Amino acid sequence: MPFELTIVTPEGAAYQGTVDRVVLPGTEGEFGVLPSHERFLSPLKIGALEIETAEGRLYAVITDGFAEVNGDEVTVLVDSCQLEHEIDFARADVELSEAEQALDRVAGDEPDRYRHFEAALASARARVEVSRKKSG
Amino acid sequence: MPNLKDIQRRIGTIKKTQQITRAMRMVAAAKLRRAQETSGRARPYADRMRATLTEVAQGVSEDSHPLFEVRENVRKVEAIVISSDRGLCGGFNSGVAKFAEAFIARREAEGCEVTITTAGRRSQEFFKRRRSGQLRDQYAQQGWVSYAQAAEIGKAASARFVAGEVDEVILVFNEFVSAMTQTPKDVRLLPFSTDTETDQESLPYEIEPSPERLLAVLVPKAVEVEIYQALLENQTGEHAARMAAMESATRNTEELVETLTLQFNRARQAAITRELVEIVSGAEAL
Repeated sequence: MPFELTIVTPEGAAYQGTVDRVVLPGTEGEFGVLPSHERFLSPLKIGALEIETAEGRLYAVITDGFAEVNGDEVTVLVDSCQLEHEIDFARADVELSEAEQALDRVAGDEPDRYRHFEAALASARARVEVSRKKSG
Repeated sequence: MPNLKDIQRRIGTIKKTQQITRAMRMVAAAKLRRAQETSGRARPYADRMRATLTEVAQGVSEDSHPLFEVRENVRKVEAIVISSDRGLCGGFNSGVAKFAEAFIARREAEGCEVTITTAGRRSQEFFKRRRSGQLRDQYAQQGWVSYAQAAEIGKAASARFVAGEVDEVILVFNEFVSAMTQTPKDVRLLPFSTDTETDQESLPYEIEPSPERLLAVLVPKAVEVEIYQALLENQTGEHAARMAAMESATRNTEELVETLTLQFNRARQAAITRELVEIVSGAEAL
């Protein structure tokens, strides 16, 4: 029995559809949601999201937010969501190494900048992860 | 008697102005539509965020997040004044700036120290002239409002609140009532409060890892969402106000052209009559 998944960002709904299973990057580790999951709320961290539908598998990279599971409805609220067709896989590896270098350059006394680049790195890692999963 | 050439020239310039105001009206109308669409797309996120936050906040104590902390002795207040970057939109910006000025004066009369953060170049210019010493952060919109900017403003304000540099943060912005009306209003952003009254009795959520941890994610985001919503209202209002302003400007030029054309025709008729009289009297003299 499939359920409804909606990914909402401040810019609008990024994804809406009937899915069989979704794997989310929770702050305490990845977790999967199957139909008739209990009512559940969990914060999410930057990472890859995996959607399984009748048509196949779909990946997306999200920033932090939270997920709300309510019966047959799963709502994911995040700042931004990049679906796999919006990701430039050819650049994923380059972006990752750029993000690593940028983070190295930031001095420890700039916590704001550090956090910013840390987030960029996590997001770059998630894109690489998705590109690996897609090709492998 | 005004010169025929002069009148003609004036009609020419006014018609050119009219072309400009008419074009600006059309641009504003298109932008208004786009701004309204953006606002519409942002609403589900904001509604969902508020609903979840209300539900989660019910199950925990009041001091479960530092941004909820209501301070007894409010000494330092920060006003975030939102305006547009550009003018030519009637009283839109001066309205909100004057409202903010009155608000600041009122809080100062109560003995508070007020600092100002501006989002939008117009309010920045307004306060730079009057209260430049109180200005804190200044943001410009640079085109379309982005969530990233709202997040930036929100993070800075939250950090100051948590650090105790300010005891209260107030948002001042134009509320978009309709395409014809925008009213300035002030809303308390921090300490953050959720709607406590809720009539829906729903099953409690299983919250992983803990409600406190979830709040730590939710509350800062909810603050950003409030700012984003205010920025969007301002954006929609700006284009609506500009559209109205340009419409009335176009109407004014139409009226002017009409009066001037009338004047021109009269002057031309007078000139013809004068010439005729001259010819006739010349012929009679022969």
